[in-house]
Amino acid sequence: MRRRTLLYGAMAAPLLAACSGQSEGKESGGRTTLSYGVWDVAQVPGLQKVIDAFEKENPGISVRMELTPWSSYWTTLKTAMRGGTAPDVFWMNAVNLQLYASNGVLEPLSGHIKSDATPVDRHPDALVKIYAYQGTQYGIPKDFDTIGLWYNKALFDKAGIKYPDATWTWDDVRDAAAELTDPRRRVHGMAAEMDRQAQLYPAIHGAGGYVLEDGKSGFGDERSIEGLRYWTDMIDRGWSPPQSAMVESKARNRFWSEKAAMVYEISAFSGQYHAVPAIKDHGGVTVLPKGRERATIIHGLANVISAKSRKKEAAWKFVHFMAGRKAAEIQASAGITISSYEGTQDAWFKSMPQFDLKCFVEMLEYAVPYPSSKNTAVWENLQYPLLGAAFSGKGGIESAARTLGEQMDRALKGERA
Amino acid sequence: MRESSVRPASRRRFNAGSVATHAALSLGALVMVFPFLWQLLTAAKSLAETAKVPPTFLPDTWNWSSFEEVFTALPFREMLFNSVFNTVGRTVGQLVFCSLAAYAFARMQFRGRNALFALFLSVLMVPSSLLVLPQYDIIQRLGLLNSAPALFLPGMFSAFGTFMLRQFFLTLPKELEEAARIDGAGPFRIFWSIMLPLVRPALAALAVITAMWSWNDLLWPLIVNTDPQKMPISAGLTSLEGQFETNYPVMMAGSLIASLPMLIVYVFLQRHFVQSVALSGSKS
Amino acid sequence: MSVFPSTAAAKKAGRSKPAASCSPKSRNQKAAYLFVAPLGIGFAVFYFWPLLQTFFYSFTEFGAFGGNTWVGTDNYVRVLKDVTVWQALGNTLIYCVIGLLALPLAIGVAALLNRRGLRGVAVYRALYFIPFVTLPVAVGLVWNWLYNGDYGLINEVFEWFGADRRYWISDPSTAVYAIGTVMVWSTTGYYLIIFMAGIKGIPQDYYEAAELDGAGPLRRFFTITLPLLSPTIFFASIICMINSLQTFDLIYIMMAEKNPAIGDTQSVVSLFYKWAFIENAQGAAAALAFLLMLIIAALTLVQFRLQKRWVHYA
Repeated sequence: MRRRTLLYGAMAAPLLAACSGQSEGKESGGRTTLSYGVWDVAQVPGLQKVIDAFEKENPGISVRMELTPWSSYWTTLKTAMRGGTAPDVFWMNAVNLQLYASNGVLEPLSGHIKSDATPVDRHPDALVKIYAYQGTQYGIPKDFDTIGLWYNKALFDKAGIKYPDATWTWDDVRDAAAELTDPRRRVHGMAAEMDRQAQLYPAIHGAGGYVLEDGKSGFGDERSIEGLRYWTDMIDRGWSPPQSAMVESKARNRFWSEKAAMVYEISAFSGQYHAVPAIKDHGGVTVLPKGRERATIIHGLANVISAKSRKKEAAWKFVHFMAGRKAAEIQASAGITISSYEGTQDAWFKSMPQFDLKCFVEMLEYAVPYPSSKNTAVWENLQYPLLGAAFSGKGGIESAARTLGEQMDRALKGERA
Repeated sequence: MRESSVRPASRRRFNAGSVATHAALSLGALVMVFPFLWQLLTAAKSLAETAKVPPTFLPDTWNWSSFEEVFTALPFREMLFNSVFNTVGRTVGQLVFCSLAAYAFARMQFRGRNALFALFLSVLMVPSSLLVLPQYDIIQRLGLLNSAPALFLPGMFSAFGTFMLRQFFLTLPKELEEAARIDGAGPFRIFWSIMLPLVRPALAALAVITAMWSWNDLLWPLIVNTDPQKMPISAGLTSLEGQFETNYPVMMAGSLIASLPMLIVYVFLQRHFVQSVALSGSKS
Repeated sequence: MSVFPSTAAAKKAGRSKPAASCSPKSRNQKAAYLFVAPLGIGFAVFYFWPLLQTFFYSFTEFGAFGGNTWVGTDNYVRVLKDVTVWQALGNTLIYCVIGLLALPLAIGVAALLNRRGLRGVAVYRALYFIPFVTLPVAVGLVWNWLYNGDYGLINEVFEWFGADRRYWISDPSTAVYAIGTVMVWSTTGYYLIIFMAGIKGIPQDYYEAAELDGAGPLRRFFTITLPLLSPTIFFASIICMINSLQTFDLIYIMMAEKNPAIGDTQSVVSLFYKWAFIENAQGAAAALAFLLMLIIAALTLVQFRLQKRWVHYA
């Protein structure tokens, strides 16, 4: 009997300690320490500079970054959310926003934005929309990505083709890809990797199709299929390696090694392109070629506040600061991402003067927001397994896309139930 | 006397056979070591070279700076210490708890033994990720998140270790135990001073296996200890993995350095594999 | 009568030796419970209680952030109706069969390493241990390079023999086997450690006696090593089966999300991971895990039943 009480006592002690620790929002000395959850190690030095600037303006608050690698970020975050130990402020993406917002674990920001006149309108509209759910804003973007067309000038020169520019259409790309393909040297005109953000979605919208509209899948749509065929056609004709070959040697690696003359790529990778000597020397980038329409996909990360945070006031101060011009400029000078605040991208352009990076911003005019719903991951996970065969040169893109459309509709119906 | 009659014949066989044995073992060893070698070669490459198509085997230029970068990129020393703590905690825990239970299951009679053993075995059949969420809840309720015990607590209890040691205890002859019992030794004495030494090779094997698992465990440490200062090195290394780019040379350098202590532990424990257990007075 | 023949044997032994009086026997009982208790408590707190909770969750729709609603057997119905589950189950069984190949390999190596008079045994042992200390990411990287369809070493070798190049890990007809091969590679060293311990537990005088009788190495292996190692082999085969049925890490490391063969290589635990941690269907994932548990338990039971045919205890 006595032993049992002892055991209970031993178990209760840390419990009590945990409780007392939790009830305190502020630490000794009246200083509030915010935790800030991020996943990209490359951005840590730049973010630290932003945090330093913030702490200087707000002497009572300090911010500690919690870096979780991308591969375990969401698992860890979800676990921590259940236990109430999630960071006060953390990074959010389009895929997860509605899931988190609809479960009530994010702090609504609309009220704060209004009362503090946070300059949300200075960020791209298509991007801001991604972080609203049922009319309420839950996150404010910090950076953005669009997709551009990279090309290898040396390979173009050798084939005697003019470099791609804003006038290019899909036909121009096809002609060039055919010319540039050289099987003997294992060089392909294009590397059409099956990637939803960089290839599938831009092509679908470029063909006038859609991925998701009014809760319905667009994969069965004629024009969407035409967009997908833009890629599978190049694979079938041998102008691009099949997806089965790009599992081990990815599209961008082929481009860097001058085994592919063109590639569609997310702007966030520009720094890595710049780091490859050959590409720095004779690589180029321009806006996406026009299909039936002009389109690119925009995505970006946002800062959100945990609804379970006990330091919401300080957390909002930080998110508000991150949404402003100053934070954007510091971030831009770090040269890792394009900050989303209007007109602060100059530092990023200048960090890689060899490339015409302005094209990524020029495309904002017709950029389509990255599609998402309440449980985006479910229907996104259907895409690669269903489209894989068609992207490996085995044909049948039309029926694969229709099947995908049907299954995606079923998944979307499941979300509403 | 016996030696003189057997040796010459067997030596001739040995020489013929040992070449084949060495050939087979060397080939196998090469296959086993290859990825380790690959780590070393990758660590010596530049980041750009790791992205090349076609991939290169030998580095264009040998560059060892990754081995220094690891120490600036991570709180390497703290992480190493956490790994040691985690590994020792789990290994000692398993050796103690599993050997006790295994001995009881193998050599003692008590009501409900089979049912209990089957129940314990069922732990093996659960995919470990199934229990991550509730286990996390328990650790949190104990107020142990971001602490050293959080790392090793659930891992101290192992169905694998219990089952393995039970099998080894089962192979021991009964006579030893019975002789000791007649001499008046209590159950714990028999366990500790007679039976346990006899399964030393198994204990060493379990120690090596547990140590390796603990050293390399990833998901659990990442979930309970989010503070880099409290993370073991296995989890720490994954933070080198960026969203758009992974610095493979630094990662491989880090993993090579991190694997050295384990190699040393193994070489040290090898002794116990080499020596046979002397079973004097066994069946003859 | 008993599931575990070893126990039946022990009971018989206990009956045939009625020397022990009543009181030491009950003392022994108490001692046995004390021996088992520490582990039992740990299991109860960290495994059985969570397991019970999860079992309850498998009948609920489990909110991503807590909060569940009772849905009865819906999750189980979903699992049984889903074609991907059956495909994953098929893949998992293939992994299990391939995975078991690691055992004969490990026994063979352990027996070779046990040869008396062999030089450099310590070095070999250290080298065979190395896959253990290799970071999983490195394992994935190197094998992906070996399997590379355009530039990989394996294709070079095959081409040299006049065979066609293949995209080993992205071709649906070869991907499962490619992963299975890596599985065997990465687990052989692990079973080797167990078998080495087992072989060292065999008293040396058996071998000496057999050698005196003129038994060659092969005969000694089959008449002494194998039978006396059988309890260890039994243990290893159960562990191997359970581990292979839970294959996940290797698939996760080697199969990129965009691999066209991903559906053809997905294991039950991969599917579980996807449902639970990516698609927020924890309830259905839990139901899937319990289905897998049932299968593993049934196969384990069969092995325990069969062991009396081939396992020799002292």
